[in-house]
Amino acid sequence: MTAAQDGDKASANVLLSEVGMWLERYFRRRVPPHQIDDLVQEVLIGFYTKRSTWDPSRPFLPWLAAIARYRWVDHLRKVYKHDSKELMEDDAVEDSEEEVVMARVSLDRLLGQLPEKQAHVIEMVKISGLSIREAAEKTGQSESLVKVNIHRGLKKLATMVEEVE
Amino acid sequence: MKMEKQQSREDLIAALTEDLTPVERVKPAQGAWLIAFAAVVASVCCIAIFEFWTGMFTGEASAFYWITNALLLVLGAASTSGLVASALPRVGARGNAPYWSAAMLGMAPLTAIISVFFLEMNHDHTSGLPSVLNDPLTWYWECGLYGSIAGSVVALAAVLYLRRGAPVSLERSGWLTGLAAGSLGALAYNLTCPLDTVAHVGIWHTVPVLVWAVIGRLAVPRLIRW
Repeated sequence: MTAAQDGDKASANVLLSEVGMWLERYFRRRVPPHQIDDLVQEVLIGFYTKRSTWDPSRPFLPWLAAIARYRWVDHLRKVYKHDSKELMEDDAVEDSEEEVVMARVSLDRLLGQLPEKQAHVIEMVKISGLSIREAAEKTGQSESLVKVNIHRGLKKLATMVEEVE
Repeated sequence: MKMEKQQSREDLIAALTEDLTPVERVKPAQGAWLIAFAAVVASVCCIAIFEFWTGMFTGEASAFYWITNALLLVLGAASTSGLVASALPRVGARGNAPYWSAAMLGMAPLTAIISVFFLEMNHDHTSGLPSVLNDPLTWYWECGLYGSIAGSVVALAAVLYLRRGAPVSLERSGWLTGLAAGSLGALAYNLTCPLDTVAHVGIWHTVPVLVWAVIGRLAVPRLIRW
């Protein structure tokens, strides 16, 4: 990375390819398969334009992970804005059972830290795939309240994940 | 040059490699110096327009005036430190020092309000002397306005630095920009203000922090998104 910052094209080429593969693995369990390449390209562009912000005295991967996470959250926001129904539906399709169980245990632990109303609607809409209206009918909350609870709950979850990282 | 997505990742990597040039690293110290310089510029402008208040050095200034300015300085330093660090992508726990410093400064307006309340309650309205609420110094809001205007110089420097960097928590960077701009802008103007009563200093010398915190949170994220 230091060589890439200094303009060494050969090193940059190797680094970009390695980073591309790392990002592919990073996003595999975070976005549907057909969106991975787009997202990887977005992060590679971000990585390239912001390469001056890496401090050689600090580890490289946390820096890259922070950029990847930033782009991922941005991507989720765009998807959420355009179609609140299809979020992370295709996740974990190719994962082993153990990974799915572990992911579920971690998720339950995180959801357990949210107020019940928020955790309940996130489970229904984001995990079980119910529509906002169906969740509203099941919980007795208004549709707008369901949206607000999902929004606030996801925000809290993001903060918790950030603190853990 | 703005790079666009390509047909394949390999094409993109080839294009990025082709355009590669050496870059100068972004360093937090550069941001800190830039913001400190902006605060000095704001102070010099305020002094040029309103004149330096020499009462600070002749013993006229009240203790509350000194304490409030010291808290503004602490908040300015803590928020600047957090802000310049937030320009570089990183994961992990982030310090809460700026928020605690803001809470400490929040004691100034709180004290002012409590003080005004009890002074007013115990004031002998038959004495003919003006009560604190009738004192024009208590309502001299222009200090808040001038402090907020001075803060815009600091905010500009902070946004320029953040745009050079790569902030990954835009809301946090927005809050920190607001806190730094408000506290250092207020401090820059306060050097010229001879009004040092608890009510005036506690409210109007600290209100730019609140004003800029709100502006920072609402406006800065869209200016630094990348």
